[in-house]
Amino acid sequence: MDFGSFLAAPEIKVKIVTYRDIFQNKAMIEDRFGEEYKNTSALIKMDPADLKQMNVKKGDTVIVKNSFGKIIARAEESGYETPHKGLAYMPNSPWSNMLVSDETGGMGVPKFKDIEATVTSAKGAKVTDLEL
Amino acid sequence: MEGNYYVCTGCGLLCDDIEVELEKDAVSKVYTACRVGVAHMKEGSREAVSQVDGKHAEEATAIEKAAEILKNAKNPLIFGLGTSTNEAQKKAIELAKKLNATLDDTSSFCLGPVVEALLQEKFNTCTLDDVRHKGDVMVFWGADPSDSHPRHLSKFSYFPRGEQKQRGWEEERTAIAIDIRKSHTAKICGSNFFQIPPGGDTEFINALIDGVSGKLPKTSYKFPPKRLLELANILKGAKFGTIFMGLGLLYSLDDLDPIIRLVEVLNEKAKGEFHLIPMVGHYNMRGFNENLFAETGYVNCVKFENGEAKHGPEYSTVEALKAKTVDAVLVIGSDPLASLPHSIVKNLLDIPIISIDPCETLTSRKAKVHFSTAVTGVECGGSATRMDGVEVKFDPILEAKRSTDEEILTKIMEAL
Ligand code: SF4
Repeated sequence: MDFGSFLAAPEIKVKIVTYRDIFQNKAMIEDRFGEEYKNTSALIKMDPADLKQMNVKKGDTVIVKNSFGKIIARAEESGYETPHKGLAYMPNSPWSNMLVSDETGGMGVPKFKDIEATVTSAKGAKVTDLEL
Repeated sequence: MEGNYYVCTGCGLLCDDIEVELEKDAVSKVYTACRVGVAHMKEGSREAVSQVDGKHAEEATAIEKAAEILKNAKNPLIFGLGTSTNEAQKKAIELAKKLNATLDDTSSFCLGPVVEALLQEKFNTCTLDDVRHKGDVMVFWGADPSDSHPRHLSKFSYFPRGEQKQRGWEEERTAIAIDIRKSHTAKICGSNFFQIPPGGDTEFINALIDGVSGKLPKTSYKFPPKRLLELANILKGAKFGTIFMGLGLLYSLDDLDPIIRLVEVLNEKAKGEFHLIPMVGHYNMRGFNENLFAETGYVNCVKFENGEAKHGPEYSTVEALKAKTVDAVLVIGSDPLASLPHSIVKNLLDIPIISIDPCETLTSRKAKVHFSTAVTGVECGGSATRMDGVEVKFDPILEAKRSTDEEILTKIMEAL
């Protein structure tokens, strides 16, 4: 047994569902390189129990990663009444697109709304900038 | 400005009741539009910019450079056009033919399959005006118009008084949301929100078909049969029902058969008629699909060869980029570097990009040649096809300081 894993920062596996948000959309139209678009996009909404398990408070940054990419985003409570441990939500944006698989089964349609990733505390690191 | 109404091209609704105030050749106030529309309509006052390699260039020089890139490419891709007028789209189709290019729009990875089935008359559909005047049951399925088409519920589908619906939402309309999360639209639907697990849509459709057919509706995720029967009864009681199909539903289905079957069954079992409308987001994506369909019989993913169109998923933007079969790209009114998965779109960075867009985007920043063009409906007029297939014509509000995408496409074509 690997005892070191108990000491490492808790890591949570999540399925991420993306969605559209009118405030984020408006921010994009005004300035897609601006702070408002970044603040409304680089955002992951999670179940409060998941945040607690990672020792992350509302508004703290987290590392969200999988084999396709890695981003630092702000974590928030989802505000949904029904608990959804292991399920997280992100607005559709270049940030969520960093994590989308290239697997398409040859049909030309990426799995935009169905992302698997792990989340850990980013310990105060800054949100990823929009650059390629 | 009294009596002057303009059209907003901020989303697929193409709202035609917008009033504006101008100040110093720019739109300073926008009335009636939603917050997205207001932001969109204030965009159109910028100066013309043409760039080559990120540096300012004369338009003529940039046109020459763009033509050279396209001429030297063996298999160029023309992509975007969801936010271009019908006139510009037709120009782009002509250009694609001339170049033997691959031509595709965002619909290949969003609602294209549904628009295609619609144009092939595989299901019953209607217009938003029909819904406003007659609709009594609306189902928002994997769709959240409150965020994606902000005035959908207020202008057409739920709140307005209609010719045959004088009592409106309070008494005569029922809005239903079926989704995997409680969206803003779902909140409006109150107790008619049906939350299902991710990927649970096909089973839910089949259970609903059972429910309206008098069988016990069952799902592996144990959705309460009583609730399903309640929903089945609302749908059966509809005189004029409409399912608004969003990306959430489409991405969860393996193919369209189940939802088409549901609409068929509802048309057999319900009191009145049932329809399906895809929630097309870009203001003229449906126009692109229709224009290409009229020309080739396909709505997207084509490659021209000596005037003939070949069609298949290998000609979709995503597969063409994955397989690296295209060697230059002309992007019109779209930002693939932002809207496609990085794991796929990174291949774009290896080929020359020509970008035509009113805004600075991730794609325009990486483009070899970029043209900043007029915002349609603000700096230029034209026509477009609303999400429900109704053609909308519009006039410009301002005198444009920049060329339209149609003009740039024409000039590129002449320079070839
Ligand atoms: S709903 Fe769409 S078309 Fe209407 S004002 Fe808003 S963005 Fe413009």
